[in-house]
Amino acid sequence: MILTFLSKLKEQKSFDESLDISPYAKMMGFRLKRHDDKLITVMKFNSDLIGSPYPPVLHGGTVASLMEMSALMQLFWERELVHIPKTIDITIDYLRSGKPEDTFARARVFRRGRRFATLHAEAWQSDLNKPIASAMLHYQLIK
Amino acid sequence: MLLHIRAFPHREDRPISFDGIELKELVFMIPHSRRLGLQLMEKQGDSLLIEMPFNTDLEVIPGSGIIANGAITAFLDTALGAAVYDQFESYRRIVTLDLRVDYFEKPLPFSAVMVKTRCLKITDQMVFVQGDVYCDDASSPIAHGVAVFSYAEMEKKS
Repeated sequence: MILTFLSKLKEQKSFDESLDISPYAKMMGFRLKRHDDKLITVMKFNSDLIGSPYPPVLHGGTVASLMEMSALMQLFWERELVHIPKTIDITIDYLRSGKPEDTFARARVFRRGRRFATLHAEAWQSDLNKPIASAMLHYQLIK
Repeated sequence: MLLHIRAFPHREDRPISFDGIELKELVFMIPHSRRLGLQLMEKQGDSLLIEMPFNTDLEVIPGSGIIANGAITAFLDTALGAAVYDQFESYRRIVTLDLRVDYFEKPLPFSAVMVKTRCLKITDQMVFVQGDVYCDDASSPIAHGVAVFSYAEMEKKS
């Protein structure tokens, strides 16, 4: 399902699509965007993403979740996959508190072997040069 | 598994309260925790047992009954934060410095997920915590998380 969805998107030069095909991604307001040939995962702000009300700050777990989604999307994007890779681990560094606004994430494949892949992801808001979090992730590619 | 440290044996029987608000209520008051449906089940000595009930909104693939990894990560983040709050006599602002999650296996389909926290160490600026994630069997975790939180000095009352 997700594989078909992505292979259709690969044919388009630019897009901004919701990931509503997954209930969890829908709940989180995740979207997938292609901009200047880069793949960006977006988390549209909604009040359910708040982790601390006064002053309003994004829940750190939601930012982690966004980076995880962006890493998975990047893996799918770079090569055809037969099944969904399994996350082995994620290590998140929280750098700045997230404001109550849209958040973006992109990921880079550091190394991709036959069985495993290592990725780095980062999340930002208004300023790409001021990431609010970064993460290292490992994926298992084959069952 | 990791270290089996009972960090604060002298605090075991202390009631959980922040300016009259119980931790249970505090955890519920966070909008994202409410969205995930988190519930504090019990406090066992120095550790907290927190539940995330199954909800179809948390599925990655509709109908699969499998809760998204991301939801488990966010759940752990909250649960470990709650474990940190539990170390203080009154409310303090806390900041997650880092969080590491190992995913051992998929959660059971259509099953609630539990986190059992443990506080490893508290220093004058930081709190080190960990949590085991499991479905029906506490001795067989499906994931494990470790986090470091920094905390603010006592905030002035205005």
